[in-house]
Amino acid sequence: MTGPMIFVKGLKKAYGPSVVVHGLHFQVERGECFGLLGPNGAGKTTTIGMISGLIPPSAGVVQIDGISLSAHPREAKVNLGLVPQEFALYPALTAMDNLVFFGRLYGLWGRSLSDRAAYVLKAVCLDDRAHMTVSTYSNGMKRRLNLAVGMLHDPAVMVLDEPTVGIDAHSRHAIMNSLKDLIRSGKTLLYCTHHLWEAEALCSRVAIMDSGRIIAMDTPRQLILEHGTGLIHVDLEHPVHGHLLETLDRKGAIRRLSERFTGFQFQSPRPNVDLERVLKMAGECRTAVRSAQLLEPTLETVFLNLTGRSVRD
Amino acid sequence: MLFQIAAISLKEFKILIKDLEALALLFAMPVFFILVMSFALEGVFETGTANHPIEILLVNLDKGPMAKQISKDLETVKGLRVIAEIDGRALTRHRAEALVRERSSPMAILFEHDFTESIERFLVSSKADLPRVFLTIDPATNRQLLAPVQAAVGAFVERRIAIARQIHQIKERFSEWGNEADAFMPSQAVLSEPFSPAVDLAILSPAGTASDIRPSATEQNVPGYTIFGVFFIVLPLAAGFMRERHDGTFQRILAAPISKWTLLVGKLLPYYIINLVQIGLMFTVGAFVFGMHFGTLYGLVPISLALAACANGLGLMVAALGRTEAQIGALGVFFAVVLSALGGIMVPTFVMPQVMKTLSQLTPHSWALSGYHDVMLRGLGFADVWEETAILSGFAALFFLIALWRFRFSA
Repeated sequence: MTGPMIFVKGLKKAYGPSVVVHGLHFQVERGECFGLLGPNGAGKTTTIGMISGLIPPSAGVVQIDGISLSAHPREAKVNLGLVPQEFALYPALTAMDNLVFFGRLYGLWGRSLSDRAAYVLKAVCLDDRAHMTVSTYSNGMKRRLNLAVGMLHDPAVMVLDEPTVGIDAHSRHAIMNSLKDLIRSGKTLLYCTHHLWEAEALCSRVAIMDSGRIIAMDTPRQLILEHGTGLIHVDLEHPVHGHLLETLDRKGAIRRLSERFTGFQFQSPRPNVDLERVLKMAGECRTAVRSAQLLEPTLETVFLNLTGRSVRD
Repeated sequence: MLFQIAAISLKEFKILIKDLEALALLFAMPVFFILVMSFALEGVFETGTANHPIEILLVNLDKGPMAKQISKDLETVKGLRVIAEIDGRALTRHRAEALVRERSSPMAILFEHDFTESIERFLVSSKADLPRVFLTIDPATNRQLLAPVQAAVGAFVERRIAIARQIHQIKERFSEWGNEADAFMPSQAVLSEPFSPAVDLAILSPAGTASDIRPSATEQNVPGYTIFGVFFIVLPLAAGFMRERHDGTFQRILAAPISKWTLLVGKLLPYYIINLVQIGLMFTVGAFVFGMHFGTLYGLVPISLALAACANGLGLMVAALGRTEAQIGALGVFFAVVLSALGGIMVPTFVMPQVMKTLSQLTPHSWALSGYHDVMLRGLGFADVWEETAILSGFAALFFLIALWRFRFSA
């Protein structure tokens, strides 16, 4: 096989009159880490559900390694490892019991299963906790075990839905390292997240989703070049003064702005110049500035630019 | 596929065994019901036998000999105990009514002071009022219990009146003979002797059934509460599916290369086995603790297999219909308890009104109970319980079809 590892064409999901995913089209090449980015409600999880065979699509085609998921679901799923957003583990069982059970679903048995379970536990740094029940695990450990279960049957494609949500720095680091190892070993990853810096660090290409549509798709670098702008973050001593914002707006100092209680941030193609102008105007408006921060263009600013809101909104 | 079924079943067993309290409850609950209800209802099932006679109070105010003779007659009836005196004093109307009111006795028979006289008046004039016997009854008295007592009292009174009528007719026919007519009369000693039963009513079971087995409280309760317990599997089974969905493990199973059938068979198999173990355990308790008759094993097995399939089907249906834990709890309790009551598990169907009897036929519980009773009490075998087995299997198929129709094999 030489075609794409994941091929998606015209993928659509509707619940009655409400369409949550509008005819997506993309493909993920072999050995590529492809990021699917977007805020909550963008349709990422529904898309991943359809690609994993969990949710029947209303229309469209999904192929895994050239095998149609709708026509040959069992054959297609053999190549797929899912790491869902939920922990998807049996808390009453030990980590090893969980791995043994899920391994058997994929046809692993006996020595090959126990060897593989030991390998993935080591890969996520849980080999010393293999026989503890999952209910005693921290969230970070559960996340790592969740990843280990997805890796267990050595799938060619891994679909990861927010695998680092709600965990400590140590676990996040362990997971990121495991994912980098997977990429190095030639696995294909479909990585769904709203931590955009993770996508920048891992993904060779990303697609930005909003309201069930892909609004941009390219390498992170290219997206930043095309759509990225500097970000200026200003914190004030007192709640945001409407007069200051109006002045900034009227004098064209800001392009896109998000307002918070005691601060605001805005994008600028010329951040150094604009920061100076803002501080000057704040002084004219007698508004005390506590801090002003200048951020480099990132996927975060790309997202803000394309959708008009933050990925975490 | 078999490996995958075994893997799912093993996992399910492991999880079930981790929650030993819930599992113990599943077994303990029907055992508890069987023990409590068998001891509590022993009186209901045994009452009316020589060992547990029905106690009836008798107030005799009659100035003549008739009431006394009828009282002696009633004392000869096995299964009745006539109490005419308490603490060596004859019962009064007031005392008897008080005892019935206090539910110390289910009923009292009262003969008025002119009872013998009223019979004599009735014999000489067809226009005279019928002789009257009063029965004072606690309104809560089981009507099934009352009927045989009424019948016995009525029979003895009528028999005494019939004899008195014959004597009266003989006296009239031979009145011109004066005192010589007395030679044709039965002696007073003979007349005052209590009647011994005039006929032996031998109770037989229909041909083809075991004639020597009478149902005890245990034999009524063990199959009943076993069925009750078996259907409680609905709750953990349906909750298990809900938990899988909630924890996300259902998604992961669905993402694996297994068929729907593998998933369902693997999930249900442990519960099916638990049901069969439950049935075996309950019947063993009944046999060893209470000396219950088992009937034939080849009669019990098909009923039990179909019953367990039915309970599993119902559990899957509840899992398919319930959208939340609360819905599953409510549906599970409804099917486990309400259908049990309707199906004659808690209240025998023979005491139900006709409409309820008809409705009970729409429950699998009723057919399972009927099947078990056929095997255990009527001594029937597999060939005779195929109808109950087939109907139970039909219920199981219906539940599975509804479940498969409504089950969401998607995240």
